[in-house]
Amino acid sequence: MSWSEIYLGPGTWIIAVLAGGALGVDSVSWPQVMISRPIVSATIGGWLLGNPMAGMLVGAVLEVYALRHPPFGAAKYPDTGPAGLVAGASYAASGGMAIGALLVAVVIGWGLGWIGTVTVQVRRRVNERIMSPAGALAGNPELLEERHRMAIWLDVLRGGILVGAFLVPSTLAVSLAVGTAPSELGRYAIASLVLGIAASAGAAGRASAFGVRGWPLILVGAALGLLLVWGGLV
Amino acid sequence: MRPLRSDHLAAWSRTFAVQGSWNYSTLVGTGIAYAMLPLLRRIYAGDPVRLRDSVERSLRPFNGHPYLCAMAVAALGRLEQDEVDPETIERFRAALRGPLGSVGDRAVWGQWRPICVLLSVLLFLLGASPGWCVGVFLVLYNVGHIGVRIWAYVTGWQAGLEVGRLLKGAWLESWAERLWPANILLTGGVALVLADLVVSNSTVALEPAALLGMGAVLTLIAFRFPRQGGRVAAVLLVLAPVLWLLGGLVG
Repeated sequence: MSWSEIYLGPGTWIIAVLAGGALGVDSVSWPQVMISRPIVSATIGGWLLGNPMAGMLVGAVLEVYALRHPPFGAAKYPDTGPAGLVAGASYAASGGMAIGALLVAVVIGWGLGWIGTVTVQVRRRVNERIMSPAGALAGNPELLEERHRMAIWLDVLRGGILVGAFLVPSTLAVSLAVGTAPSELGRYAIASLVLGIAASAGAAGRASAFGVRGWPLILVGAALGLLLVWGGLV
Repeated sequence: MRPLRSDHLAAWSRTFAVQGSWNYSTLVGTGIAYAMLPLLRRIYAGDPVRLRDSVERSLRPFNGHPYLCAMAVAALGRLEQDEVDPETIERFRAALRGPLGSVGDRAVWGQWRPICVLLSVLLFLLGASPGWCVGVFLVLYNVGHIGVRIWAYVTGWQAGLEVGRLLKGAWLESWAERLWPANILLTGGVALVLADLVVSNSTVALEPAALLGMGAVLTLIAFRFPRQGGRVAAVLLVLAPVLWLLGGLVG
């Protein structure tokens, strides 16, 4: 597939931007029903570009990476809503077949997730200004409601801007990898992703474990996965 | 005046937006005030001075898991209705912050969400269509999500000051302790099947047995040292397309 074969029209771009707004606001501001998880957002991205299966594959890999970042306390975590959409759409636009394109799409999703985190922090600083002074808000509850809703709309805008700005460049970058022929280094590239998934799963498992005593369970889980593979169930 | 059912419904539905104006000064405090407004307007109907004082109290810094903030909104509303003195309300707010955060984090972010996500990914890897996988995830997760919000609000309103005591040893905590083994099993299984999918879709020759062995060792190391393991995972992720594209360039 070449660049000329990828069609991302203005209509699709606008729908993607609107979806990006909805996915961006879901993660923290409203309503937190988890459409912002990569497994959903990347599938939506893939669906917008005509290949939800490709989007979901990107989303599945991103999930294994995102699971090691639970939002406990003040921990930083990737903003996966707009990022997943862009990654899933980019991979779907490239045909959703080439393994090299998958590698690039996942890295774009991961990087954009952390860029999204920076924008979340900026928005929190902006909220600080919007929601002050407290005295004025307490004396005028309607103003409090208005400002609170304004803050939520800013989050919608943030998600939309992220998708609007990164969708086209990301699609072009992923398509670059489509025509790349496998080489000797390609073996190490795949091995790198697979080992990355393994390391991420280990760290994610620990995030949900109550202490270190759960380590044999992750190996038992992997053994069960191996049985599924050998049994031809996947 | 006692809040009506419609006021409770309005306050509960506003808890979905409790983090809407999250900021570094008051954290989720402004969202708590926003959610409490339907209750406060009814309780202090015709008394703008007391309404102002109560909103000012509600705006003060607060933090907690967003789903369990419904409990704080209802309990604080109950204290306002019962005309509890402001100092007690302030102490109550401070005492509630810790448990609401830790219980919610461990149960929802630590267990329920990963389990729903991993089940959905597993369904996909087993061959289910993307629509089904996404549908199952959203329905399953949100049954728990909305259930927790309803339970939190009702418990908060009924218990008032006693809510902190009820939160200790609540079903959420015991659920979290029961669910974690399933969570880890799923993590291991999904990672292996996903890695196999990547390998089988690639057009390059690989040695699966060696990869499996190295993957198992790396998983255990990352489990023992999660921070360092996470960094290694990120480096390997970025390295993968770089190697691929470099290989393509040099032929």
